[in-house]
Amino acid sequence: MSADSLRRTADGPGDLAFDLPNCIGVIEEAVDHAVECCARARIEQRRLLFNFRVGFTEAISNAMLFGNEGDPAKRVRVELEVEPGEVRARIADEGRGFDPDRVPDPRLPENLMRPDGRGIFLMRALMDEVHFNSAGNAVTLVLRADAGRADGVEDAEPPFDFTIPGLDPASPAARIVAATVARSAMLAHDAESNRAELGAALEANRRLREEMARGQESREMELAHDLQLKLLPPIPRIPGVEAAARVVPTASVGGDFYQVIQLSRGRVGIMIGDVSGHGFPAALIMALVMSAAEIYAEQGTAPATVMQYLDRAIGDELQSTEMYLSLCYCVLAPGRPEIAYTNAGHPSAFIIGSDGGARRLFATDPPMGIGETPYSESTVRWSPGEDLLLLFTDGLSDRLAGVRRSSGEEQILRTVAANRDRSPGEILDILFEMSREAVPSIPADDRTAVILRTA
Amino acid sequence: MSFTVRRVGSTLVVDVDGQLIVGNRHELKEMMLEELAGGTRNFIVDFARTGYIDSSGLGVLVGLSKRVREVDGTLQLTSLSHDLMRLFELTKLDTLFTIRGSVEEALAD
Repeated sequence: MSADSLRRTADGPGDLAFDLPNCIGVIEEAVDHAVECCARARIEQRRLLFNFRVGFTEAISNAMLFGNEGDPAKRVRVELEVEPGEVRARIADEGRGFDPDRVPDPRLPENLMRPDGRGIFLMRALMDEVHFNSAGNAVTLVLRADAGRADGVEDAEPPFDFTIPGLDPASPAARIVAATVARSAMLAHDAESNRAELGAALEANRRLREEMARGQESREMELAHDLQLKLLPPIPRIPGVEAAARVVPTASVGGDFYQVIQLSRGRVGIMIGDVSGHGFPAALIMALVMSAAEIYAEQGTAPATVMQYLDRAIGDELQSTEMYLSLCYCVLAPGRPEIAYTNAGHPSAFIIGSDGGARRLFATDPPMGIGETPYSESTVRWSPGEDLLLLFTDGLSDRLAGVRRSSGEEQILRTVAANRDRSPGEILDILFEMSREAVPSIPADDRTAVILRTA
Repeated sequence: MSFTVRRVGSTLVVDVDGQLIVGNRHELKEMMLEELAGGTRNFIVDFARTGYIDSSGLGVLVGLSKRVREVDGTLQLTSLSHDLMRLFELTKLDTLFTIRGSVEEALAD
């Protein structure tokens, strides 16, 4: 948005006010700008990106098209108040106002074929509260993090409490807890998520909170280490997919992680990553990436789009901490003869064929936090039922370097190929047993690998 | 937002990349009306890459469905995310459109 179209006129903490020219072309950017300002409300990202964006878009376009009657000389005033747990947006136009109660119900059969008349209905359906002023030329929208869900989701989980007495809310520890809680909250609202898994996630959070409360500076590493293991999710059971993963963290936490995400239409997303730093900061980035990946994996079909969303979500955090991460994300589906992937500076992934041959999935982009968006992606052939997909981090290949005078990568490929008829879990057992016995030639780093096969 | 258009047999598949909202809905409408005038009868609009749709976007789809129906054509919507599907359910527009899981599924019909 150009500087003159968005005139920032308030600068309170978490508050934002601006005037928009009466031009529908600026709405999308104004909405995105407002969403960015809402981050500190800690409202579920998905609700911000959907409920808020749609409701807010409706309010602004109503103001421009009906309130201001499209008059280019008029303006629309937007005021945003952001508090933890709540976003309040007031949208006012310069028109004469209208009576919102006289708008007919768009769901009635006689109105179903009408192209218009759904805006106010959608605002009310998607936001927690909608108030018009008495003149009918200003509307206030409220979206909350917890109760009073307007979208008909019943048996919502009770709100998560993640305040820890005596802990600075801005400290890395508190932010990690917030990130893991966000992750659990999302699992909780995922209708597909199984109850036991959810229980486990909540329990892990509760324990983590207690530990954090007890934790002292000296225990920071230990906690971060613990956190890394707790964050790594169990591999979901997906029809037609046989997958296994292992991570062996070092004492100092290297920031390795993996994630297998069940997507719609039978697809599955496999992610492996390595954060550049160590300790708490690395664990924080890891928590953020994993939480964001859960959300974005479903929103972007293409791996490059998912990476772009992720980059947008954590780019600032990476920049401010001067960290970066290598990340490889693959999407495939049982029975489909191809894999789409984006590899941002991560060691090559491989496809091991039924003849034992290995095909390399080269990096397509520099690591996240270093390169420029947008990301690119590649599609490679895949033989369902025959090929194995292998992803690992450099901690594993470095550890195996020099064994039998070959590079670590050669060693991994040879071992996986020789055992390719076994299950992914068995292959990983063999691989990690070998790495455990290897004498490290350089300082130890996390060792992580994921192996997958589809029907 | 941008559209990618491809033809599979006699069907026009439109990928909506980004948002389908008040600011850009006319582009979709004009493009599809032009296709309709050019003789295309079967349409699939795919939302796999769509973040959100507002009431204007829904309105354009309603308008198009009417025009397509008038000439005995078909308009199918595919790859709606959970949230987008909810939008159609809330407005009861799920009863008006043929909604399919994927483009492949829609083409198989």
